[in-house]
Amino acid sequence: MSDKLPVIEDQPEICRSVDAGERSVWTRVMNRFADHCRARSLFVLHYCTGCGAIELPPTITSRFDMERVGVSPMVTPRQADILLITGYLSIKTLKRVILSYEQMQSPKYVIGFGSCTINGGMYWNSYATVKRLDQYIPADLFIAGCMPRPEAVQQVLLKLMEDIDAGKANGWQDYYNNYDRYLGNQQALFGESWHTPTDVIAEAKHYGYLADGTMGRHTDLLLKRADYALDRVPEDYPERGKNERRLP
Amino acid sequence: MSIPAKLNDVLHEMPGIKVRMMNERRVRVDLSPDTLPALLEILKGRLGYCHLSAISCVDWVQTDQFELVYHVWSHMLKTMVSAHIFISRQPGQFISVYDIHAPAGFFERDIHEMFGVHFEGAPNLNKFILTSWGGPPPMLKSFNTREYVEKTFDWVQYSPDWLKDIEAKGGGID
Repeated sequence: MSDKLPVIEDQPEICRSVDAGERSVWTRVMNRFADHCRARSLFVLHYCTGCGAIELPPTITSRFDMERVGVSPMVTPRQADILLITGYLSIKTLKRVILSYEQMQSPKYVIGFGSCTINGGMYWNSYATVKRLDQYIPADLFIAGCMPRPEAVQQVLLKLMEDIDAGKANGWQDYYNNYDRYLGNQQALFGESWHTPTDVIAEAKHYGYLADGTMGRHTDLLLKRADYALDRVPEDYPERGKNERRLP
Repeated sequence: MSIPAKLNDVLHEMPGIKVRMMNERRVRVDLSPDTLPALLEILKGRLGYCHLSAISCVDWVQTDQFELVYHVWSHMLKTMVSAHIFISRQPGQFISVYDIHAPAGFFERDIHEMFGVHFEGAPNLNKFILTSWGGPPPMLKSFNTREYVEKTFDWVQYSPDWLKDIEAKGGGID
C-alpha cells in the first residue's frame, strides 16, 4: 500500500494552503486545551501487586475521597488513564504489567507507588523482584515510602494533574520514542523471545511519535520472532518464514 | 503430655526411629530415608494420617545434606507427625510419595524448582513459579542472591540535596 496521495497537477488554487508552522501552532493550542480537559477527568487502574493495595480503599472512599479531585477508579486497562503500580513487582508480575500498560489508550500515565517500584524497597536483594519500574515502562511520578499514606497518594494525583495540565507528563511519548530501549530492558529479563500482542511501533506511527529510538537492535528481534505480525515482515527479510509457527 | 498410645505403637514398629513430642499436638520423628514411605503408608492406613500438609526442605551446607520434612495430620488423633529425613546433597535424589499422598506432587515440584532435588516417580517436575528463570535453584545456600541481583539489575542513584548536607556533616544512609 502506498502512503503517497495522488498528485493532481494544474489544480486551481481554491483554498489558501496552510503552512507547517501555522499548523503546528494550531496543534499546540489544541493539545494544550485537550491536556487541560484531560487533567480534570482521570480514571485510575490500580495494579495491586503488593501490600500497597491496602492504602487505596481509604483513598477512594469517604475518608479521603479521591473523587473530590476528579479521579475515580477504573476496572479495565483499556478505559483507564493512570496505571497505579502499588508495590513490588516480581518478574512474572512485570510481564502482566507491561501487557496491561500496552493495552491502555494514549495518553496514559504511570505512577510508581512505594519504595519497591523505585529501587526494589525491602526486596532489594531478591532474585525474583524487579528493582526499577522506570526501566521497563515509563513512570511519570513515584511516591517514596514504605508504605505511603493516602495523603501521599492524593498529593501525587494532584501533582500529576498539574503536570498533565502543563503538558509535562509525557512518559507515554517516551515509550514510543524510545521503545527499543524499553524493549531491550524487558528482553534482558524475559529472554529474547519476549513479545506482546500490542504493536507498539504501529501505534507510534499512528500517533506520530516515531523517533530514532523507536526501532533498533531489540525491535529487530521482535520482527524476526513475531509470527502474529508476519505481514509486517518485508518480503526480502532474510529471516522471513523461518519462524512460521502460528499461534493456536 | 504423652504420645497417644496407638501412635506410639505404630511409630515404634519402624526400625531405627527417634520420636520426640514437641507439644501436645505435634510429634517429631527422625528416621532413615528408606523407611519414610513405609511410615507414611502405615500412618495413613492405620491411624488416619491422610492429610499431607506440606513437605519442606532445608539445605544443610555443613553436612552436605538436604533435610526433607513431611508433615502429616490425622483428623482421628488430632496430632501432627513431622517426619524428618536427611538425604545426600549429591546427587540430591529421593523417591516421590505421590502414590501415597497425591498433594505430594505439588510440593515435590516446588522443591525441585527451588532446591533442585529430583523426586523419582513424581508426576510433574516442570517449571512451576519461576517460569522465566534460567539460573540455578535459587533457594540453595550456594546461590548468591546478592551477587545475582548486582549483576542483573541496576540501581537508581539517589543523592538529593538534603542528603548531601547530612553527608557533609559525617552522617548518611549507608
